[in-house]
Amino acid sequence: MEISITGPRIFYTIHTGIPILGDFNITETLVVSWIVMIIITGLCIFLTRDLKVENISKRQAVAESLVEILEKFVSDNTGGKPQFAKMVPFIGALFATSLISNLISLTGLRSPTADLSTEAAWAIVVFIMITAEKIKSAGLGGYFKGFTEPIFVMTPFNILSELATPIGMACRHFGNILSGIVINGLIYAALALLSSKLLGLLPGLLGEWLSHVPILSVGVPAILSVYFDWFTGFMQAFIFCILTLQYINNASES
Amino acid sequence: MQTQDLVTIVPWTFIAQICNLFIQVFLIKKFLIKPIREVIAKRHQLATEELDKARVSEQEAQALKAEYEKNLSEARDKANEIISTANRTAIQKSDEIIANANREALAIRNKAENDIALERKAAVNDIKDEIGSMAVDIATRLIEREVNEEDHRKLIDEFIENVGESK
Repeated sequence: MEISITGPRIFYTIHTGIPILGDFNITETLVVSWIVMIIITGLCIFLTRDLKVENISKRQAVAESLVEILEKFVSDNTGGKPQFAKMVPFIGALFATSLISNLISLTGLRSPTADLSTEAAWAIVVFIMITAEKIKSAGLGGYFKGFTEPIFVMTPFNILSELATPIGMACRHFGNILSGIVINGLIYAALALLSSKLLGLLPGLLGEWLSHVPILSVGVPAILSVYFDWFTGFMQAFIFCILTLQYINNASES
Repeated sequence: MQTQDLVTIVPWTFIAQICNLFIQVFLIKKFLIKPIREVIAKRHQLATEELDKARVSEQEAQALKAEYEKNLSEARDKANEIISTANRTAIQKSDEIIANANREALAIRNKAENDIALERKAAVNDIKDEIGSMAVDIATRLIEREVNEEDHRKLIDEFIENVGESK
């Protein structure tokens, strides 16, 4: 039996002829990302439909508590500094996109977060924000001088640790989701093999026929998906957002 | 179907995902955060207005209460004044009435006493006359002769005069 775990499928290729960037591929990652965006935006529109000041509906109560939880989350992780209130929509979008992208694998679609390009894109945005915050608080000279501290010899290591931030964030998220996919694939294959062997023990034509039905694949993966999809999916979205806020908060204090 | 490598960064996907993230930020801001913040701000404003309104009404109520209390105490003062005036007047009136009654009673008594004195005088005069004629009569019978009435009258009068004095 052969198991193959591949990257996202490429649906269509647009030849651009631009040297380094190469051809534009419409991959599963992009298509599912758009689906995720439509889901999130649709949910937002649904939740904020017919807003009232008094006698609010349950729907509105949910929307209001979501926004309040988000605002509290941002202010808790940035020490309540008012200048980070503008981070609320960004963190909301990041968390929602990450969470829905992770959980969409439950429907059988391929998570956009199972493509390193997605996490790298988010991490680079966060990295630029961190750097901007550092330059804002320490000045351009102070920012570059910060690399030579505490002694000049440390400069290369400081640069490495600076670059490790986005790489670490991207790889952590990607690795968790990818490992979920890999383990899920292995488990499906193993269960199919196991059920075929077990049912093959039955005598005659019945055993031969039933051995092609991967009966153990029904149910058992659902239990594992509680951890690999639900828990990891939620955790990674949460960790990515917390790290973003903490890094930016630290940057403003340096 | 063609697939991408499992672990790789594809430049166009990378760029597209950055754009997607910012579009998502915009969409979430426009469709969730902004309307919710607006409605919360509106509610907050409403609550503040209601509180202000309540505060103003309370002040008005306090002012009204103070006014009522003032009016009430004024009314009470006035009532007290009226009552005391009435009392005073009543006392004066009753004193007057009593004095008048006393005066009248005194006058009646004086008149009665005068009347009594006059009556007595009249009675005494009548008795005097009667006694005079009786005495003449008695004397006439005693001596059984014509007496000079004129002499006797003088005598009797003297006698009666003495009787009146001795009495």
